[in-house]
Amino acid sequence: MASQYGERAADYVTSAVHAQGADLDRIEALAAGRGLGRVLDLGCGGGHVSYRLAPHVTQVVACDVTPPMLRAVEHEAAQRGLTNIATSEAPAERLPFSDGMFDGVFCRFSTHHWTDLEAGLREARRVLAPGGIGVFVDVTAPASAMADSWLQTLELLRDIAHVRDYSVAEWTGALTRSGFAIRPPKAARLRMAFENWVARTRTPEERVAAIRSLQRQAPAEVTQALAIESDGSFTLDVSTFEVEPAG
Amino acid sequence: MTGSTPLDPKLLALLVCPLTKGPLIYDRERSELVSEAAGLAYPIHDGIPIMLPEQARRIG
Repeated sequence: MASQYGERAADYVTSAVHAQGADLDRIEALAAGRGLGRVLDLGCGGGHVSYRLAPHVTQVVACDVTPPMLRAVEHEAAQRGLTNIATSEAPAERLPFSDGMFDGVFCRFSTHHWTDLEAGLREARRVLAPGGIGVFVDVTAPASAMADSWLQTLELLRDIAHVRDYSVAEWTGALTRSGFAIRPPKAARLRMAFENWVARTRTPEERVAAIRSLQRQAPAEVTQALAIESDGSFTLDVSTFEVEPAG
Repeated sequence: MTGSTPLDPKLLALLVCPLTKGPLIYDRERSELVSEAAGLAYPIHDGIPIMLPEQARRIG
């Protein structure tokens, strides 16, 4: 996946979908005034979680599997005068950190790329200190199997680094098995403007055409579940899971 | 691109070998983090440690 994202790191630093959102505000509110020491931004991408957390914590460690993304984060952090963000290239499934060394683990729009969700969640749990907080944010799949398959297909055509948008039920099971206690998840709807959505991943023309072809022939249930519009824009569910180590 | 930027000492103190979760030794000259237990040296590019076993150099 790293090569998929090499050339477009800067797009993710400036992307409004990634730089804004109620979920980012929520992450900042959770961290503010809590006196958190060291926190992990797991799968940092364009670094938006890191920039929000940095003023409220002692140190942010941002990790990702894409070196150009990490360099973009280093550059942007310096531009913003944030001196407590360090970066490391590391996969979620095998983190280079000791047990319990983070007061918080924050992970936003990353898990759908992981090759092994539960291995990553177990690692997140392992590096989280007792009494620490974890927040996982990502697109979640509709409960309907049909709409779920259509969503994954559109996502994969758009970005071959897509692995899976998990359903809320899958998330709940995976988090529980990984040793987390979960608060009731928060859901939001996020509209994807078609042109920006495919531009950000530099989706080749033939796959953009395939996406449009599929969308035009989607059954009513799918069109409704994903709120597919005439220009191909559509709306996704984004869920926020706030967790802590299970007793 | 390797080497020129030194590793952030605060980050160095945090990192362990992703395989053994054991300590790493910073080889400033080669710009590598050495895991003796795993027999691997992880490169540092532009000050960013690359903690991927498949990209690490095998050492004797």
